[in-house]
Amino acid sequence: MSENKKVYLQPTPVRIWHWLNAFGIITLAVSGAQIRFPEYITLLGNYKSVIYLHNTAGFVVAISFTFWFFYYVFIARSMANLYVPKVDELKTGLLRQIKFYFLTYFLGWENPHHPTPRNKFNPMQKSAYLAIMFVLMPLVSLTGIFMTNVEPLRGVIVMMGGLKVLMNFHFLLACCLIAFLPTHMYLTTLGHTPLEHIKTMWTGWEEGAEEVSSPESIGTVSTR
Amino acid sequence: MNCSYINNLLRIALCSLLLLVPCSLPAMDADYCLMCHGDADIVSGPLLIEGSTFDTTAHAMLGCSTCHDAIGDEHPNGDSELSRATCLDCHDHLGQEYMMTDHANYATCGDCHNPHEVRAMDAMAGYDMNDKCFKCHEAPAMVDLHNEWLPQANLHIAKLPCITCHTGSEGYEIVLNIAAKQDDRFLSRYELPGYQTLQEISGKAGILSLIDTDGDNFITLRELKGFNRNPEYRDLRLAGTMVPSDVSHDLSTLDNRYDCTFCHVSGPESLQTSFLAIPNRDGGYQRIPVEQGAVLEALYGTPDFYMVGTTRSASMNIIGLIIICGGLVMPFGHGLLRFLTRKNRQH
Repeated sequence: MSENKKVYLQPTPVRIWHWLNAFGIITLAVSGAQIRFPEYITLLGNYKSVIYLHNTAGFVVAISFTFWFFYYVFIARSMANLYVPKVDELKTGLLRQIKFYFLTYFLGWENPHHPTPRNKFNPMQKSAYLAIMFVLMPLVSLTGIFMTNVEPLRGVIVMMGGLKVLMNFHFLLACCLIAFLPTHMYLTTLGHTPLEHIKTMWTGWEEGAEEVSSPESIGTVSTR
Repeated sequence: MNCSYINNLLRIALCSLLLLVPCSLPAMDADYCLMCHGDADIVSGPLLIEGSTFDTTAHAMLGCSTCHDAIGDEHPNGDSELSRATCLDCHDHLGQEYMMTDHANYATCGDCHNPHEVRAMDAMAGYDMNDKCFKCHEAPAMVDLHNEWLPQANLHIAKLPCITCHTGSEGYEIVLNIAAKQDDRFLSRYELPGYQTLQEISGKAGILSLIDTDGDNFITLRELKGFNRNPEYRDLRLAGTMVPSDVSHDLSTLDNRYDCTFCHVSGPESLQTSFLAIPNRDGGYQRIPVEQGAVLEALYGTPDFYMVGTTRSASMNIIGLIIICGGLVMPFGHGLLRFLTRKNRQH
């Protein structure tokens, strides 16, 4: 049995982390672009300031990522459930979701995935976030930390192929993350209304979500 | 007649000798002086000159008596005040520059440059230029001082000669050195090895042959890549530094050096000129020109020389742009189809 309800989908710590992360990543992208192309981009002041800003934003994002990781693993204890696709999700769910986004959505069909606090992400989101949060983010943070500590970590950097290899790796990882931003922002507009998902990440409540009542459901459900 | 013939022969012999004397006099002069001044059993302290080092200096060709000209026959007795030329007698332009600086109140030329050991700037590795500065300005204190305004001050001070910024030289160029792993430990540091170490690695072919495989005294990008990829040289790396392109003793900091973008800018247009510094048997270095643009090579040219904003790779920029554009496909492509099919969702 199902009915339209408001579901408390995004707890406060997750929302704080999300917006801190969003602000940090945009700052990193703009300051990183100025660091790489200083003769073309002067948006954030002089080069020294932009270096300090980039380093600071980088550390803030890396620390917030650590908090996010520990929150989901040790406090919410739902990291694996939320972010790691299950076998059947990879076998059929992924294809079903791809079919929805690239075909049946245009025909006006409903999204086959209905978010719940224990299953917030569809198989495509899970796969994307798995790559972003467990591969790209740790690697871009790690390469950034190496680059702000070149002298003490020179031995490791040489072992990895040298400073230039490290820098180019950091740059390409950052480009992958930046490439994800427009897709991410666009997909947030695919709710029942264009701003629905954005409001959810601001208030925590998902409107119009279908919550199937079950004993496993740990999320707060409201009919207000 | 015999007497006249002999006199003529003597005159010819004397003239020939005089023609030869100007060439060999300084060497003879130095050798003669070093008989005592190169012997630690006879003299000590500043009077002791290391002959092999002195021979590598530009001053060696002048000999000893050019600067120490008033040496009496009774030397070493009775002339305790040895005459000596002043540095400004020859280096008047550099001297005038130096005398205008605050340094002149604290250090004479000889406090930094031992005239019996001094080498020209292009006979130095680059990193060793700071040895003189660190005599008075200790490195940790300088890192603390520069940390007040300079990002990554420890990296700048470890990798750059002080005179790259504290100079009157507007331009700079890159000097690459061969660094060697110090031991077999996993994360052992790489340091600049001496002539002997590199000679043992390179064998009879000579140190330059490690990189200059065609022996033309010119390093191409292909040769640099070959060196960096060669598994036999996995314990060798290229370390780069920036040195001023002109000799200057105006040690004040140029205003433009406070602007990070003086160095960290321009990509392919600047920092094109680079040299490979090869250690010589005498302890100095020989500079070998490197093909233009070597430090800009994406990965295999100079993997350990990277300056943010400067040595960015054009090919990496293109790959990065393609990746970012890939991220725009979804919003634009999907968004267009979404707009065209909007009526299907009006329920």
